[in-house]
Amino acid sequence: MVAFTLDGRPVSAPEGELLVHAAARHGTFIPTLCHDDKLDPYGGCRMCVVDVEGAPRPLPACATRVAEGMVVSTNGPITEFQRTLTEMLLSEHLNASPGGRPNELIDLANELGADAPLMLPDAKRAEYDDRNKLMGYDPDACILCARCVRYTQEVMQCSALSLEGRGGHARIVPTWELSWLDTECELCGGCLSVCPTGAIYEKFEEGTSRPERQLEQVRTTCTFCGVGCQIDLNLDPQTKHIVKVTSKDEYLPNEGNLCVKGRFAFNFVHHPDRLEEPLVRGDDGELHPTTWEHALETAATGLQKVIAEHGSQAVGFLSSARLTNEENYLIQKLARTGVGTNSVHSCEST
Amino acid sequence: MDVLRLATLYPELPRERTRLLDNLGRVRREVGPITMELSDALADHMNIRRGEVHEVVSFYSFLQVPTDAVRVCTGPVCDCLGARDLLESTPGAIEVACLGHCDLAPAMTRGDEIVPSVTHSTNDGPAVDLGSGDDTLADYAARGGLALLHELPTLERIVEELKASELTGYGGAGFPTGLKWEAVSREPGPRFVVVNADEGEPGTIKDRYVMELRPHLLVEPTVLAMRMLDASEGYIYLREEYATARARLQEALNEFRAAGLLDGLALELVVGAGAYIAGEETAMLESMEGRRAMPRLKPPFPSQVGYLGRPTLIQNVETLAHIPAILRNGGEWWAGLGTRGASGTRLWSVTGAVAKPGCYEAPNGITTRELVEEHAGGFTDEVGAVVPGGAASGILPPSALDAPLMRDGLQEFGAGPGSAAVQVFPTSYSPLRLLSETMRFFAEESCQKCTPCRIGNRALHHLSEELQRGEAVMTREKVDEWLLAMEKTSICGLGQASPFPVRGAMQHWPELFEPLEHV
Repeated sequence: MVAFTLDGRPVSAPEGELLVHAAARHGTFIPTLCHDDKLDPYGGCRMCVVDVEGAPRPLPACATRVAEGMVVSTNGPITEFQRTLTEMLLSEHLNASPGGRPNELIDLANELGADAPLMLPDAKRAEYDDRNKLMGYDPDACILCARCVRYTQEVMQCSALSLEGRGGHARIVPTWELSWLDTECELCGGCLSVCPTGAIYEKFEEGTSRPERQLEQVRTTCTFCGVGCQIDLNLDPQTKHIVKVTSKDEYLPNEGNLCVKGRFAFNFVHHPDRLEEPLVRGDDGELHPTTWEHALETAATGLQKVIAEHGSQAVGFLSSARLTNEENYLIQKLARTGVGTNSVHSCEST
Repeated sequence: MDVLRLATLYPELPRERTRLLDNLGRVRREVGPITMELSDALADHMNIRRGEVHEVVSFYSFLQVPTDAVRVCTGPVCDCLGARDLLESTPGAIEVACLGHCDLAPAMTRGDEIVPSVTHSTNDGPAVDLGSGDDTLADYAARGGLALLHELPTLERIVEELKASELTGYGGAGFPTGLKWEAVSREPGPRFVVVNADEGEPGTIKDRYVMELRPHLLVEPTVLAMRMLDASEGYIYLREEYATARARLQEALNEFRAAGLLDGLALELVVGAGAYIAGEETAMLESMEGRRAMPRLKPPFPSQVGYLGRPTLIQNVETLAHIPAILRNGGEWWAGLGTRGASGTRLWSVTGAVAKPGCYEAPNGITTRELVEEHAGGFTDEVGAVVPGGAASGILPPSALDAPLMRDGLQEFGAGPGSAAVQVFPTSYSPLRLLSETMRFFAEESCQKCTPCRIGNRALHHLSEELQRGEAVMTREKVDEWLLAMEKTSICGLGQASPFPVRGAMQHWPELFEPLEHV
C-alpha cells in the first residue's frame, strides 16, 4: 500500500493501482469515456485529467498509477477541462441516439451543463450500412474513443473493426469497410456493449421508442450452453416481452462478455411455434398435449420395451449443449447406472 | 494479379511486426499502391490481424498512392508562393500538407524527383559547415571527420562537453542533449539509438540539408552514440518525401560499413510513409514497431521506456551534426559561437519572401533581420508576418524583426524559436490566411487520438476560415477556453503547441478577430 493525497485528504491504495480506481474507492468519481476496465489504459478522451503535483500538465487518471506521496486534485479549475472537452465532443456528435442505447456523453453534458458552441463543418461522416440484421452502426454518434476497436483486438482477439485514417478523416469502420459478415466478426456484440454513446446498437431497436433505460431488467443465466453466463433480460414494461439482452462487467463468469447466441438469440422465447407443454404422439399418429407425468411415463415405457427386446446396448443417450454441466452429469448417470449403456454423447463435442 | 506478384516477394519480406512499415513501403514500390487485397495478404503473411494492418495502411498519406504520383505541397510558404495555381495547372497532381522543400516553394515532386530540381543555398559555418558538402567518406575524413570513431572519447567526456556547450535538441522541444545522453546511459541495457530524421514542421528544411550535403556528419555521431551506449541496433527514421537524402544516407551507410566502421552494429534506415505526427518521438517508436503513429502517454519517457520497451536515445539530425565539432573544439568553444547571451550556432531554414531561401548556419540569438539580410539576400517584399520556428512556434508581426530568435527574445511576442524555421510572409498574404493554412495543417496531421487535438485544431481552422469572411463561429471566451484545454490536455506536442499561432495572431492583429467580440 502507498499513501497519497486526494483532494487534500490523506488516503492509501495498493501501489500501481490506476488513479481512477483508487479515487473511486475513496468516493471520488472521475468521469471517463474511453476507459474500460477490460482494456489496457488508453488516455485518449482526456475527460479524466487530474492535477498531479510536480507534473508539468494534467495527467489522465485512467492511465496514471498511484505512487507514494503523490498529491492529486480532481476538483477546482481542472473540472473546467471536463466541460470544454465535452463541448468539443458535442461539436461533432450529430446523432445522440441511433438505437436507444444509453449515451454517456450526453449524460456528462447534462451534468456539466455543456453545449456545443459550434458544429464542425466536417462533423458529418460517411454513412455505413451493414447487411447483417443484428448490429447497426451510426458513425455520426461515434466519439472515436476506440473502445470497440480495442475490445475486438484485446478481448475478442479478432479483426472486425478498424480505426481508420487520421485527423478529421479518422473514423471507425468494420475492417476495410466490409460487412461485418465478411470480416472475422462473430457478431458477439461486444463492441456494442462497450460503446459509451450507443453508436453501435441492436439493429432491431433502430429508431426505438423504448430507450434501454426505460426497460425492466431481469437477471438470469443464459440457457445456450454450460458456461453459465449471467445476463439481463431487458423487458418492455408494458408487454413484458424481451426487447434485448445485456450483461454487466461485474457478472461472473462472463464479466459482461456474451456470444452471438446469448446476446441476440432470444426470439424463440416469444415465438408462436415454441413448445410450451409436453406432447405425446397418439394412436392417430398426431401429437397431443399431455401432462409431464404421462409424457415421462410414455418415454420410460418405450425405453424399457427396447431394453427388454434388444438389451441395454441398444439404447444411446444424446444430450444437448444447452444443458448445464450438472444436467449433463445426470444424463450420463442415467445412461450408465439406470440403463446400463456407455453410449452417451453430447452435441457440444462436435 | 497484384496479390500473385506479392506472393513472389514473400521469401524476402520478414515477418517481424517491426518490419511492417518497411514491408508496406516495399510492396508499394514493387507491386503497387496498397489495396485491401495486398494489405490482407501481407497481414496473413506476417501473421498480423488484417484489421490492424488496415489501420496502419490508412494512417499514412502515401501507402495507397502510386510511387510515381505528382505531389504539390500546400504548406503555408508554398501556399503563399502560388501552390494553388500550380495544383490547378498540373493535371492529376495530389495536394499534400508539406514536402519539406520550402526553399523551392511552391514545391512539387514527381515520384522521387523534385521538380524542377534540388538546389541548395547555404553558407560555411563554424560547426556544421554545410558550405562545401562531402561527396564521399574520404572527403569527410579529409576534413577531419571520423576522428571520433578512430579514437573513441569516454562517455564522461562527451557528457561533460555537451553540458558545457549547452546544446539542446534542435527538433523543436529543446531538451538538453548532455542530460539526455547521461540519462540513457544510466538505464540498464540493451539500449537503442534512434535518429529522428522525420523532419516535417512546415518551413523546416535543415535536416534535409545536412543529410543531402553532409550525410557522413550525421552517421559518425550516430555510430559514436551506439558505441557509447552499447546499442547494437540503431535506426534512422527518415520521412518518405526525402528521396535525395535517402539515397545519400544509404550511400554513406554503405561506405561506413565497407570501411569496417559499423562492425558489430546494425544501423538501418527506416522510411516513413507520410505522417507529420510520426516525427513526435513516441509516435515514431510506435511507427517503427508496426503500429499507427499515435503518440504514447508520457511519462515514461523514451530514455527509460523507448523502442520495444527499452531505453532509447532519440536525437534530431541537426543535434547530432553539431556533436563532432563540439567534441573536436570543446563545449565552451561551441557555446561561445552564440550571440546575445545564447550558446552556439544552429541551422536556420529561411524561406518565403527572401531573395535566397535556404538553410544557413548562424548564431543562436540572431534576429530575423540579420538572418535575412546577412545570409538570405534580403527581403523581397514588404514584410507582413514572420513565423520564427516552424508552424507551431507562433506568428510574429513585422515589429519583431529585430527580436533575438531565442526563448527570452520571443517570449513577449508569444512565440518560441522552435525548429528555427524562419518563414517570411509579405503584406499581401493575410495573417488570417496564414493562420488558416497553419491550422488546416495541424487538423489534418492530428493523429486523432485525443479529443482536444482532433477537434480543437479543426475548430480553429474553421474559425480562421470564417474570420477571413468577417464571420465568427465562436465567442472570444470560448476560443480562449478551447485553446487552454488544447494546450493543457493534449497528449503530445502537436495539440499542446498548435494554440501558439492562434494566440500570436490574436495578440498581434486583434482587429482581425474583432468579429469574435460580437457573437
